[in-house]
Amino acid sequence: MEPGNIPILVVEEDTIPLAYEKAIRDVWEKGISIRTEYDHPEDPPSKDATVMIAVREPFGQPRFHRSFADGLGGLAEYVMEVVHGAHDYWVKPMEEILKGTESKDTRWTYTYHGRLFEYVIEDRVVNQINYLIEKLSNTGYTRRAQAITWNPKLDPPTEDPPCLQRVWGRLCEDGEGGFVFNMNTHWRSRDLFKAWFENVIAITTLMRKIAEAISEKTGKRIRPGRYVDISDSLHIYGSYFREIQGDPEKGIKSFFEKLESRSFEERTWHSSFVKPFFIDDGVGKGLRPMLKREKEMPKTVRKAVEEELKKMEEDDYVV
Amino acid sequence: MTIFEKIADEVQKGNSETVETMVKEALSSDVSVEKILNEGLVAGMNIIGEKFKNNECFIPEVLVSAKAMTLGLEILKPLLAESNIKSRGKVVIGTIQGDLHDIGKNIVAMLLQGAGFEVIDLGADVPIDRFVESAKNEKADIVGMSALLTTTMINMKTVINELKEAGLRDDVKVMVGGAPVTQDYAVQIEADGYAPDAASGVDVARKLLNV
Repeated sequence: MEPGNIPILVVEEDTIPLAYEKAIRDVWEKGISIRTEYDHPEDPPSKDATVMIAVREPFGQPRFHRSFADGLGGLAEYVMEVVHGAHDYWVKPMEEILKGTESKDTRWTYTYHGRLFEYVIEDRVVNQINYLIEKLSNTGYTRRAQAITWNPKLDPPTEDPPCLQRVWGRLCEDGEGGFVFNMNTHWRSRDLFKAWFENVIAITTLMRKIAEAISEKTGKRIRPGRYVDISDSLHIYGSYFREIQGDPEKGIKSFFEKLESRSFEERTWHSSFVKPFFIDDGVGKGLRPMLKREKEMPKTVRKAVEEELKKMEEDDYVV
Repeated sequence: MTIFEKIADEVQKGNSETVETMVKEALSSDVSVEKILNEGLVAGMNIIGEKFKNNECFIPEVLVSAKAMTLGLEILKPLLAESNIKSRGKVVIGTIQGDLHDIGKNIVAMLLQGAGFEVIDLGADVPIDRFVESAKNEKADIVGMSALLTTTMINMKTVINELKEAGLRDDVKVMVGGAPVTQDYAVQIEADGYAPDAASGVDVARKLLNV
């Protein structure tokens, strides 16, 4: 690649953990060194690339990598945030969002669920996921089934505008009388090392929910197919380099040494191992503790999380 | 392998049910509660803490092990109270007011507990008064505060000022951490200790209390 051009990388793997590891290696080795708004002055420039990651079987096992910046219970709560809007009530009022960086209110400026399910435009609230389900139920081969997050009025003045920009989907016949729901997501910017994996677990759970909703609506068999994830800027922040490179003098392993010191099985988890931790991780996180702790969660959302908990408690439900 | 080593091993693997069974087994064979705690549960969690510090294990694994340790500890708690076993120190910990991020704080809390400290976890978005009240009511040795936002870390200074006003500052050490917090900032707000990452939180606490 000529100097000044951001590298373009393509990763295609069977499962989420395989794709995740390959992407980290590729961005680390082939990414451009460039500064981001989040780098501290003392940090080295981040590694960055435009990356398309395709996961052929997003629910293939093992589905969970062990390297991410939270616990399994915390991840479960994040999935509820994206899929059911568990934290939409943490978003500050519009007048505060419009103050941009001048706002003293430390609540959030958006959630993905809020933008996808309740996008506000010209005093109207649009449920874009509902539209996507309706559109695909009526015309499975449509190229217009998409949902966006960016709000040009609200987002530019804020410190942390949404990374996810767009969700797009299409149905294709599976040759056996059913359909495959193909989903692509487009991201403006992405922390590969500490956010990508959790984002993908949540967004593929949403993918499955959409497939289930279309199936229910049409009476046809719809299963989630391949998942494609496109990031304009997929990066490893300079502040993570110490963790990636390790410190041989202090006996601290590099991230890649850590990976290589274990078998693939030992650096991943199957959904069956993860599920009890999603329900309650024993240290204050997970669906049960979340329902107990977050007393201000609106009733309708609480009900959705309770239903999700009930499903998880059933034997055959895959997280 | 002794029963304690087996418990420590199962804590490391995060096998909660096996840890529960083994702790009950150990208790029924009349071994000391203190040994089950220190040579089994705490030893296992300490190894995980060391591995985490040396970048040999992943964050979620620390919390999976913490669940196993916590479940074992729950069984021992009533007996520990009877035996009057002293902890290495009491730490009141929380994420500062206005900040909902708690993963770093949770890991520090678990590792501290695993290192034999008694931890009172106040959670996330903890009001300033609550840190002060808890430090007073719990007779804490350390107040630990975490922040992930530059807009919220300023509240750490307010907590320290409030501890001074309440006449508690001489009796309690303050340690701080979180992504935007630096050693310079810790010095500036007159904190006693700064942990640059979750893994070093235990070392800082040990140093502050000389344990």
